[in-house]
Amino acid sequence: MRELRLWILALAWLPLAAPAQEPGTALKDDVLRAEPYADAKPLGDIRKGASLTILDRATGWYQVEAGSARGWMRMLSVRRGAAGQASAAAEVGGVAALSTGRAGTGQIVSTTGVRGLSEEELKSARFDEAQLRKAEGFSVSKADAKTFAAKGPLKARKFDYLPVPQQTAGGGSEGGRR
Amino acid sequence: MRRLACLVFIALLPLAAVQARDLGDTLRSLKELGGQKPQSPSPQSSAAKPAKDSPDLPTIPPIGNVPEGDEIKIGRYIAGNLLGAAPLVADSALQSYVNRVGRWVASQSERPDLPWTFGVVESNDVNAFAAPGGYIFVTKGLYAMLRDEAELAGVLAHEVGHVTQRHHLKVMQQSQLVGVGSKLLTKKLGSKDDRVKALIGSGAEIMARGLDKNAEFEADRIGVVLATRAGYDSYGLPAVLQEIGHLSADTGSVALLFKTHPHPDERLVRLGDAMGTRFDGVTDGQNLPERLQRMKR
Repeated sequence: MRELRLWILALAWLPLAAPAQEPGTALKDDVLRAEPYADAKPLGDIRKGASLTILDRATGWYQVEAGSARGWMRMLSVRRGAAGQASAAAEVGGVAALSTGRAGTGQIVSTTGVRGLSEEELKSARFDEAQLRKAEGFSVSKADAKTFAAKGPLKARKFDYLPVPQQTAGGGSEGGRR
Repeated sequence: MRRLACLVFIALLPLAAVQARDLGDTLRSLKELGGQKPQSPSPQSSAAKPAKDSPDLPTIPPIGNVPEGDEIKIGRYIAGNLLGAAPLVADSALQSYVNRVGRWVASQSERPDLPWTFGVVESNDVNAFAAPGGYIFVTKGLYAMLRDEAELAGVLAHEVGHVTQRHHLKVMQQSQLVGVGSKLLTKKLGSKDDRVKALIGSGAEIMARGLDKNAEFEADRIGVVLATRAGYDSYGLPAVLQEIGHLSADTGSVALLFKTHPHPDERLVRLGDAMGTRFDGVTDGQNLPERLQRMKR
C-alpha cells in the first residue's frame, strides 16, 4: 500500500520532469558544459542549428547530447524539436489539439461549439457587461494573493529589471528594426 | 535615416496636437460607455477641453500621462469586448485561482494597486491578452498547455508587463498619428461611438493588431523578473515559449499569436541574451505543479 502511494507520488511529478529523449536544435552558438553552471568545465562549442537530443532539465539548463558529447547547455539556447521540424501540433494534446482540425485556414471555426478569437471575431465582438462584471467579481485583493502565495510556499525576493541586451552573434539580425 | 525620422516627427507635431484633442473627446466618450458611473472630470479632460474650432490648442499631456481612471475605463471597454468574443470558462475555482496567482505576480510590479482582473476564456486558440488598466485573459487552449504554476505565473507576468509599460496606450497614440486624415473625417461626421472606434477599433480589434516586436521582447524581460520576484522558477515563461515554438505557424490555434508576436525562437534568443548569467544565483524558485488548478472537463 505504501509502495503504491509512493508510485502515485512519483507519477504526480512526471509532468515537471524534462521530456526524456526529445530532439532539440541549438538556437545560437553556445558552450556545452560538464555541469549546469556557468563556470563548469567547457566540453566544446555548439553551433547555431546543431541537432541535439534533450535528456534532462535543471532550472535554466538542459542536459543534451550533441554528437558523441553529453553535457549541459542553457535552456534558452535550445529550441525543442528537430531542425526544420516546425509542426508537432498533435503533441499539445487535450484542448488545443481539438482546434487543429482546420490547420492552415488561420481561423478556428467553432466545430466544438466554442467561440473563437480570430481577427474577424475580435473585430465583430460586442461589449458584454455581464461577463465583464463576472470577471471583475473574481478579482482578489493584494492581501488575499499574499496569503495564497505564502501557502505555496512562495517567498518574494528583490530582483532588478533587465537591461535591453546587446545582440549576440547567434541572435540573428532580423530582430532589429525592419 | 534618423534625420528623416526627425523631420517626419516635426511635420507631424501640429497634427499631434489636434489628435490629442481628439483623444480628450474620446476619453469623455468612453466615460459614457460601459454603464459606468461618470466620474468627476479628471484634470486631463478639463485640460483637453478645446476651444472649439480653434487651431491654437492648449498643450495637452501625451497619452503616456493618461490618468489612471481613464486608462482603466479604456481597458474595461476593451475587456468587455473581448469577453463578448470569448466568455469566461464556467469554472469558479479556476478563475479564482488564476486571479490569486496573477495578483501575486502583479503585486511585484510598480503598479500593485491597479484593480487587476485575470481570467481564462472559452477559446481553443493558444493566446493571452492584456488590456490597459490591468485586465488580463488567457485562453483555455493556452491554459491546457501549462504544466505548473510557475508557467502560469510566467505567462501572466508577461501580460502584466504590457500593462505596467502601457504598451497598448502607446499603440493607440501611434495609430492616431498614422490615421490622422481619416480620423479628422470621422470627427466631423462621426458619432461618439465612431470616435471610440477611431481610437480603439471595432470590438476587441486592438487585440488582433499586435504590438511592436520590441514591446513583446520587453514584456518577456519583465515577465521573467516578476515571476522571479514572486518566488517562482524564473524559467516558467521560457518553458511555455518552447512549448509554443513547437507548434507550426499554420496551426489554426496559434495563427493569431504568431501573427501578433515575434516567433518564439526569436523571443527565446532575445530573452536568453537579456537573462545571461543574472538568474544563476536563483536556485530556489518554486514550480508548484501540484497546485496548478486543472480545468473541469
